[in-house]
Amino acid sequence: MRINRRAVAAAAVIAVVLPLSACGGSEAGSADASGKVEGEITFQTWNLQANFKDYFNGLIADFEKQHPGTDVKWVDRPAEGYADKISADAAGGTLPDVVNVSPDLVAPLAKAGLALDLDKAAPQYKKEYLLGAWDAHRVPGAEGTYAFPWYLNTGPLFYNKRLLRDAGLDPEKPPTTYGEVFDAGLKMARQSKGKVAALANVPTIEDFGRYGVPLMNEEGTAFSFNDPKGVELLTRYKELYDAKALDPQALTATPESSGHKFLTESVAMNPGSALDLANFKKQAPSLYENIGITDQITSTGKANMYVMGVMVNAQSKRKPAAVAFAHFVTDATRQMEFAKKVAIFPSTAGSLDDPYFTEEDGTDETRVRVAAAKSLKTAVNYTPVLFSEQMKTELRNAVARALQGKQSPAEALDNAVRACDRLLRQS
Amino acid sequence: MKTPTATGTITSGPAPAEPLVPGPGRRPAGRRTPRGIRRHLPYSPWLFAAPGLLVVGAFSLYPFLSTLVNAFTDRRTLVPGEFVGLANFRELLDDEMFWIGLRNSSLYVLGVVPALVILPLLLAMLVQRHIPGITFFRSAFYTPVVASIVVVGLIWVWMLDDRGLVNSVLEAVGVGRVGFLSDQWLLLLSAMGVTVWKGLGYYMIIYLAALANVPRELHEAAAVDGAGPMRRFFTVTVPAVRSTMVLVGALSSVAAFKVFSEVYLMAGPSGGPAGEDTTLVMLVQRVGTGLSGRVGYASAISVVVFVVTVALMLLVLRADRKEDA
Repeated sequence: MRINRRAVAAAAVIAVVLPLSACGGSEAGSADASGKVEGEITFQTWNLQANFKDYFNGLIADFEKQHPGTDVKWVDRPAEGYADKISADAAGGTLPDVVNVSPDLVAPLAKAGLALDLDKAAPQYKKEYLLGAWDAHRVPGAEGTYAFPWYLNTGPLFYNKRLLRDAGLDPEKPPTTYGEVFDAGLKMARQSKGKVAALANVPTIEDFGRYGVPLMNEEGTAFSFNDPKGVELLTRYKELYDAKALDPQALTATPESSGHKFLTESVAMNPGSALDLANFKKQAPSLYENIGITDQITSTGKANMYVMGVMVNAQSKRKPAAVAFAHFVTDATRQMEFAKKVAIFPSTAGSLDDPYFTEEDGTDETRVRVAAAKSLKTAVNYTPVLFSEQMKTELRNAVARALQGKQSPAEALDNAVRACDRLLRQS
Repeated sequence: MKTPTATGTITSGPAPAEPLVPGPGRRPAGRRTPRGIRRHLPYSPWLFAAPGLLVVGAFSLYPFLSTLVNAFTDRRTLVPGEFVGLANFRELLDDEMFWIGLRNSSLYVLGVVPALVILPLLLAMLVQRHIPGITFFRSAFYTPVVASIVVVGLIWVWMLDDRGLVNSVLEAVGVGRVGFLSDQWLLLLSAMGVTVWKGLGYYMIIYLAALANVPRELHEAAAVDGAGPMRRFFTVTVPAVRSTMVLVGALSSVAAFKVFSEVYLMAGPSGGPAGEDTTLVMLVQRVGTGLSGRVGYASAISVVVFVVTVALMLLVLRADRKEDA
């Protein structure tokens, strides 16, 4: 039937043309955020509704009261698949006006013209934040800052005193350098005949950074973690792996599974944050009785910090309201309030000098809090903002090949740098 | 004198019987269909099918054609693509991870399909018997089918963990710990085991339906002729359920080649040690998702998965036709 053929042909043409039509260029929105603060905006958070519903509802109510004529719709997305959700929204043109992001999520959004440059749109707020935190959302190769810094986190190295004692180590003198960590790990493995591992995870990009390995060139156009120092770190990890001082499942471990291994007292040391302490107390009382806390291991003198940000959609139709709200969420008053509800740290200048972050009351919680706040003043976000999930997988697989002896540490890191550089060019 | 009747004439004998529902070519002479209805008749089937076709078009045809088009572009999640010809397919040939994925997906088919064709048949024959309490076992064997794959995967991860239940038992009996989740081959084998365990109940139900149609007399006749249980299995049961076995083979091979959840849950997002347990669908997910996802390249891998899946189906059906001949 002619009609059927025509219909089928038309359907096929539409089906082929429609996807191509989506290949249109995306226009970067204007960086002008001046104008009246009004209208309805959407605010998206990252897995915060379950525990902080009242805090955010109160915050939104305060903002709407301060700015009559505004209406903030709050949506919260689960942690799992958060990046995919943002990808889908960004690709579909439904990205909310104000979005909770991390620096690695901001980079591709900024490149696609979807993140508002705050150096142009809201430069007056820059002085309110710690310089390092404000710079955390800069993207190499692009001018500007693409998100307000929000809360920061860092943490100590937790260790299991009982396991250290069993291995003949002094639990009151925990390792303080990478060299001491490796030596302690090897001794524990020897003493326990490979039954007790020191660590549950293989080195990640931030470990290379903390070890003092240069991760990228200055222009941000190529990776450099195959530097001799990087090879040295991986060689030391291979010694641990061969001696069974790394957990047998370290090659496939995730931060969650490593945390679980530490919780079940299968490994002796694990980096963590102030958030973990309450978790140990609740879920593993026997571990909590033996918990040891020491400074984060670093060869650079600067701890690693995690930065959360609040980005404004560059294509938002309500930019003045979106910028005002993003600033409101991240200003010093709101960040202090939030920090007192959960073990995070404000990124606003001067907030870390508040007695809440400088005075101990003898409990472990305040000890960890004060130490973390002190280290945050010089802390660095070691993970390059351009280091994507795929690049993390390339590095992880290269590290695994080196630890298994399939490639030498130098060869594995050379391959990883080559693969990451290729992905960087394609991004 | 001819007396006209409704169906013919008295002298000409009975008229040929008319169908109760006249077809388009056999419309009774003299009965006219209203003009409007006749004009729209050819469209009517399409109108009835339209809702279904729209759903299929929107959720199957469009994504499929979209994937096909994207496979020839360098499209990324947030960056519009340009036509790059066969560049993505050429890149596949040099991508070590693609070959690892193809190897693992193929091994999965080889490992899982024979088990899912044979074991559920044996299980179905077992639970088909009238034994007191057998209903409980039928339900028990089916339980994994309805359980969430994520829950099932996590339970097996806990059980096969280095310090999990299975390793504790092995250690207690002197075998020592086995690296189910740290050795690349054992990991793949463990994931296959979970797939088989989860699929047993589903295919068992299909076989139970087929076995119910095997005449009891055939078994009785074979038994009278002196055939033992094994002989009766191969000469009566297997030929009687052969077409069902082909169906199970086709369904399970397609599902096995496209495996994702079991391996992802057990080997982790990186696909096992050094990514050596990555399957093709895992690679599609890894390469094509996220804000820096390479949609074009992931689409090219998806096209390969599609081609291999169709080839697998044709292979199984061809094998069935050869048997018939």
